[in-house]
Amino acid sequence: MFRKLLTIFFATFIFGLTLAEEPNEVYPFEDSIHEERFLSLLNELRCPKCQGSNLAGSNAPIAIDLKREVYRLVKLGKTEKEVKTYLVDRYGNFIVYDPPFESDTYALWLAPLIIFLITISVILFRRFSN
Amino acid sequence: MKNLLNLLPLIAFVILIAVLYSFLTQDNDQLESVLVDQSVPEFRLPSLENPEITISKSNINKLPAVINVWATWCIACKVEHPFLMKLKEESIVTVYGLNYKDNRRKALDLLKKDGNPFELSIFDEHGKLAIDLGVYGAPETFFIDKTGIIRERHVGALTTKVWKEKFERFLNEDNDV
Amino acid sequence: MIPEIGHILLVIALVLSFVGGLGAFALKRELPVLKISFILNLLLIGSFFALIYSFVIDDFSVAYVAQNSNTNLPIYYKFAATWGAHEGSLILWILSMNIWLLTFIFFDNSKNTNFSNYVFGVCCLVIFSFLLFTIFTSNPFERILPIPPINGADLNPSLQDFAFTVHPPLLYFGYSGLLIPFAISISAMLSGQPNKDWASSSRPWTLLACSFLTIGIGLGSWWAYYELGWGGWWFWDPVENAAFVPWLLAVALVHSLLVTENRNIFINWSLLLSIFAFAASLLGTFLVRSGILTSVHAFALDPERGLFILGIFSFFVLGGLVIFAFKNSTNNVASFYSLNSKEFGLLLNNLLLVVLAVSILFGTLYPLIYEAFTDGKQISVGAPYFEFIIFPFAILLGLLQGIALYISWGSTKSFSFIGKLIVEAISISLLTLVLLFILFDELISASFFAIFIFAWILAGSLMINFSFKSFANYLDFVNRRIGVMLSHIGMALLVLGIGVVSSYSSEKELIIKPGEKVEFLNKDIELLAIKDVQGPNFISKTAEIKVSDDKRVFNIQSEKRTYFPSGQVTTEAGIDTGLFRDFYVSMGDNFKEDSWSFRLQSKPFIRWIWLGALLITLGTFISSINLIRKQ
Repeated sequence: MFRKLLTIFFATFIFGLTLAEEPNEVYPFEDSIHEERFLSLLNELRCPKCQGSNLAGSNAPIAIDLKREVYRLVKLGKTEKEVKTYLVDRYGNFIVYDPPFESDTYALWLAPLIIFLITISVILFRRFSN
Repeated sequence: MKNLLNLLPLIAFVILIAVLYSFLTQDNDQLESVLVDQSVPEFRLPSLENPEITISKSNINKLPAVINVWATWCIACKVEHPFLMKLKEESIVTVYGLNYKDNRRKALDLLKKDGNPFELSIFDEHGKLAIDLGVYGAPETFFIDKTGIIRERHVGALTTKVWKEKFERFLNEDNDV
Repeated sequence: MIPEIGHILLVIALVLSFVGGLGAFALKRELPVLKISFILNLLLIGSFFALIYSFVIDDFSVAYVAQNSNTNLPIYYKFAATWGAHEGSLILWILSMNIWLLTFIFFDNSKNTNFSNYVFGVCCLVIFSFLLFTIFTSNPFERILPIPPINGADLNPSLQDFAFTVHPPLLYFGYSGLLIPFAISISAMLSGQPNKDWASSSRPWTLLACSFLTIGIGLGSWWAYYELGWGGWWFWDPVENAAFVPWLLAVALVHSLLVTENRNIFINWSLLLSIFAFAASLLGTFLVRSGILTSVHAFALDPERGLFILGIFSFFVLGGLVIFAFKNSTNNVASFYSLNSKEFGLLLNNLLLVVLAVSILFGTLYPLIYEAFTDGKQISVGAPYFEFIIFPFAILLGLLQGIALYISWGSTKSFSFIGKLIVEAISISLLTLVLLFILFDELISASFFAIFIFAWILAGSLMINFSFKSFANYLDFVNRRIGVMLSHIGMALLVLGIGVVSSYSSEKELIIKPGEKVEFLNKDIELLAIKDVQGPNFISKTAEIKVSDDKRVFNIQSEKRTYFPSGQVTTEAGIDTGLFRDFYVSMGDNFKEDSWSFRLQSKPFIRWIWLGALLITLGTFISSINLIRKQ
């Protein structure tokens, strides 16, 4: 997410050269964009069994199955969003650390902005009404 | 005005405490399944008994039924095994087995020893169908109604109590129709 | 016998703290507060040692020892296991609150008897309530009778580690330090008009608490990095947030007290913040120990304990707020300040920190709110969300921090420094980019923002373009402000570390068998052997790895340990540490025969995060000591 946000400011993302597939890789990719996507997905997906860890940080059997599944989908050329939807359809929103922006979560996403705006207007109002 | 403003934090914290109190009494050990009210997903997996035979969704046809996710490495599965046998013996409902991330030989040995409650046993070595069902681990049980729709999911051992509380109503409902 | 003595000491401390607390409010004369605090301290230390003793001699008839230790546990960890779980850590917590109280009273030279009495009284009552909680719901001295187990269950293996043995005491010390500003605020409201004198007596203690919180959190992050085996240093786990929120509020409080002390304004705000910061530390305890949030760090889950802590939280926080609403005689008229003043800058700083703290708390609790409103549906709020919301706050706070030392009280006469500051910041950014290019052969635009903020804070904190008559003058200036300069520079390094590590990291998961060579980031990586190693209470598969590049050759050991008797598996990452990059190897799964998967990671500049935290710790510590000495 941090990176995605930054790309809004800088459209020029520098990627390494296309990688050659190594026989040793557990998750070999021909395309570095796919590899980036795969790694970032592992960080944003939650291991369902472990309750407090992402897929990248877990070696639980179910995490390994899910990694394999994510790998398969990314190799097929699915986008980050498609992979997430695929898993949310099976495991619910619990599986993504990045909650969707929908009616149930407007409060979550907008709270910081609203609290900020309210407090700053109170401060400025009190300052200038004096 | 002065006092009102000074009271504001107090009011906010009273609300916070009330919310925290309600969290304490909230029961959150059951994981809700998104698959409830959806049809059983398509799959093609080998049978446990014979790797040559492929089982697919169309083989899940003696409805209503439960799909039970189990494995030999799972301790709670041993606990619920007698209850599954009872479901079969008293013909309460068809039981389909999904052998999850297991060793084929060990699984067959166990069924031979403790009895086989399953109409069909699906062998899901890499958790393919399990992922499609949103399975967290073993044991888990899904109730499939007469029309092939998943109606309920239970995580953990299936017992008489759980059956009465969560599953039985779907059986009765089916009889009414 | 010893555990019973420990238990009795706790009960005596309970009675003493209750009597002390009541006496302080009831009697309007000078009390031997130093003596009572000292005795209380002896009692608690005695009790703590009784518990340590039970661990050291393997007294498994004590339930807490049986659950958290084992005969095979190395003696060093037996010692540390004392605070490895809920009950023991509570004793440590209470002890550290008492040490704070004792230290405060020792240095307190207030002429207002009521003020000192009330501070003492509030602290005693908090200590009393925690003791009550411990004795009635979480007694560490409880025996398993009649038949004690022959051996203990074991200390959670991932806690058997150096950083973990020091991280909790320091963190608890920071948490409990927030008791002092809270008690000082309550006491100031009860004993007279809180004013700038109150702020100057509170500030050193807030700084000190901040210092301990920073080092505690920093060590926790370092521990997670090398012990959890996946190379992350911050996870936005509920427990981490529970420590981060009080830290943010404590930092806000440090800054608002500065304004109150210097300008005698924002008094109400500083009072409230003192209450909030303490509330946040109690709330953290509640979230972690009631089990309402599932977390990697979760302590024993027990709703009854949760209810008790919620009771303590409600009593003190609501009590504090009632006093604030009804007893506080400070005028509530908006203070006058101009928009180009330091006051306004610090107000913005406070606003950002507090809104950020509230947002993080809200995000942490949101899964529970969501569950309640959607009838049991689950949601996860994790790193992507928190990183998204912290980003704008971090940028604004960073921009403010850069000009913090330049702007003046009352009104800033000239803003001409901004131009020079921009030039400096751009120069430092360019130098940093050149360094990054030399080190890593590429420039990643995603890191530019963080690098600029780093440079901006650094330039602003060093104040090199401020007009000084001579270099000696500059040194004198630095000497007087060494605390704030160090902490702000620490923040700059932290920002740089985060920016670089989150954009320049790379990783690969490879399957390697002994004798095989692979390549990662222009390095030859050879798996020499996989050995079976027998530890005192674990067996491990240890991978010996030789790494060579054109500059040097070094060896790394990466392990997968299975601890007995619990059977838990931990990953001991092999790390080649460096100022500019860490090379991180963790063992994954066993594939066929001797082939193992390894996760190879490069973590550039990750050390700068902890270096930054260390500087913040040091800076706040020095500021605090200087202020206490001055009093």
